[in-house]
Amino acid sequence: MYEDLSWSEAKDLLRKWRDDNERKSDEVVQIFEYCLADKIKKLGTERLIILEQVFVAALDCSRIKLAEDCIRVLISEFPESLRVMKLKAMLLEALERYDDALDVLESIIKKDETNAAARKRKVAILKAKGQISDAIKELCDYLKKFMSDQEAWHELCNLYLIEGDFTKASFCMEEVLLHNPYSHLVHQRIGDIRYTIGGQENIEIAKSYYAQAVKLNGNNLRALYGLYLCCSHIATSKAQVTKRKEAQKLATWAMSKIFDITNKSSKQQQKSSKTSTGNNKNSTDIEALEAAFGNLDAKLN
Amino acid sequence: MAELLIDPKIRGWVFLPIVVITFLVGIIRHYVSILISSTKKVELTQLQDSQAMIRARLLRENGKYLTPQSFAMRKHYFNNEESGYFKTQKRPPATPNSSAMLTDLVKGNFINVLPMVVIGGWINWMFSGFVTTKVPFPLTLRFKPMLQRGVELQSLDASWVSSASWYFLNVFGLRNIYTLVLGENNAADQTQSMQDQMSLNAAGQMPQDPKAAFKSEWEALEICNVKSVLETVCEDLLASNNEPISNNIHH
Repeated sequence: MYEDLSWSEAKDLLRKWRDDNERKSDEVVQIFEYCLADKIKKLGTERLIILEQVFVAALDCSRIKLAEDCIRVLISEFPESLRVMKLKAMLLEALERYDDALDVLESIIKKDETNAAARKRKVAILKAKGQISDAIKELCDYLKKFMSDQEAWHELCNLYLIEGDFTKASFCMEEVLLHNPYSHLVHQRIGDIRYTIGGQENIEIAKSYYAQAVKLNGNNLRALYGLYLCCSHIATSKAQVTKRKEAQKLATWAMSKIFDITNKSSKQQQKSSKTSTGNNKNSTDIEALEAAFGNLDAKLN
Repeated sequence: MAELLIDPKIRGWVFLPIVVITFLVGIIRHYVSILISSTKKVELTQLQDSQAMIRARLLRENGKYLTPQSFAMRKHYFNNEESGYFKTQKRPPATPNSSAMLTDLVKGNFINVLPMVVIGGWINWMFSGFVTTKVPFPLTLRFKPMLQRGVELQSLDASWVSSASWYFLNVFGLRNIYTLVLGENNAADQTQSMQDQMSLNAAGQMPQDPKAAFKSEWEALEICNVKSVLETVCEDLLASNNEPISNNIHH
């Protein structure tokens, strides 16, 4: 589909993706091969940066031959550059020559202690080798130095989740939250983790985070379900009566909201066929809902 | 007042040369600054400190979204008397006359101040005392010292521009042309570099002394008393949505 782009259009498209940090590796490789490969000299000042972009994309698509072609040009252009050395390490990684890649990365770090990318690649290699606990250790060391790197905190959270260490994972996610306080997904994630840890106190915290997520985005279905689960848990627990009452109210509300959202999507499907039965369906849903809450009441008493 | 007629030779030998000279000096400055500029080497500890400061600031700003326990834990990490980050990390006070900074300063002066003085002085000496051009609109007398430097004539209309002033107009007015010729972020423009220097003096002082920065951040964090929003969020949610629910259910 990219065959008929002119080379300047292709160049602009690649630049746009580069600026927006989009990872469209397949498309990048295709564009390069169709439009730019034989006009590489015409690209002028952008030539090398496009080669770098294509190199990374080629690694993504496991096009080792193409990647080697790209990096040969880059190495001959900048034999000493740390940025190219990092690319070389990435190529070694792609070839699964992890120890060689680690050697290259070590030499980068020795030359420039502040090179964050090389340190992060080391963690990535450990993760690729499946040594999660080593990766965690390495990433912790990294975060002691670069402690406001939210991407790294997020990755550490995922690694802890793989290991099943939920308390530490929630700590990391809180750190991400400090960077993005208005992202409902982060709130929802902390809610998930806290709910998974379990226990009265954690479930109450989870409830708060889910509520925050819902407040930020009322259509976050997962957060609504989470809120409902937490609230119904609290409502059936041995908490104070006022707390249970409030939790129940919130559960009712969350459930009705869930019905609203799910109905809306199903209603849109039905709308084309029948409109009259839609109303009926709605009322039966509400009846079912009320029955469900009746159950809940019974449990409470 | 009688209309002034300017000798066309002034156009050829004063007006245009000033434009060309200032323009070329800007271009040369751009390339010289590329030649002698060096990438600033950042120390690892410096980086770590600045990242810690960012994290502490974020904690102060967004700490209200954490549980009180999590907040206290992080505050403890930074501010604890015995083991807190801001208390234990002792950094040597920054030495402003370290050689790297000194060369930077010299380079900055070399690129910015020296040409300004030398070329400006030379133009003033070489082309002094010409009336070069006229702005196409009338101006009040207030503009006389600005537009007629070097030509102190009481009776001359204020819209005439002297050669020295023409030079300054060019120095400050060629920015867009430079952007056109050299691309964005060029070093040719003097006004830009002067602004940089000023802001550097105002804000650049801060991170140079980590001890003082730590102390202020420590104080800010110490008095920072956040009220967790998590406690009230459920009530908020219920209160703000009470209306729509009742509508939905009793439809």
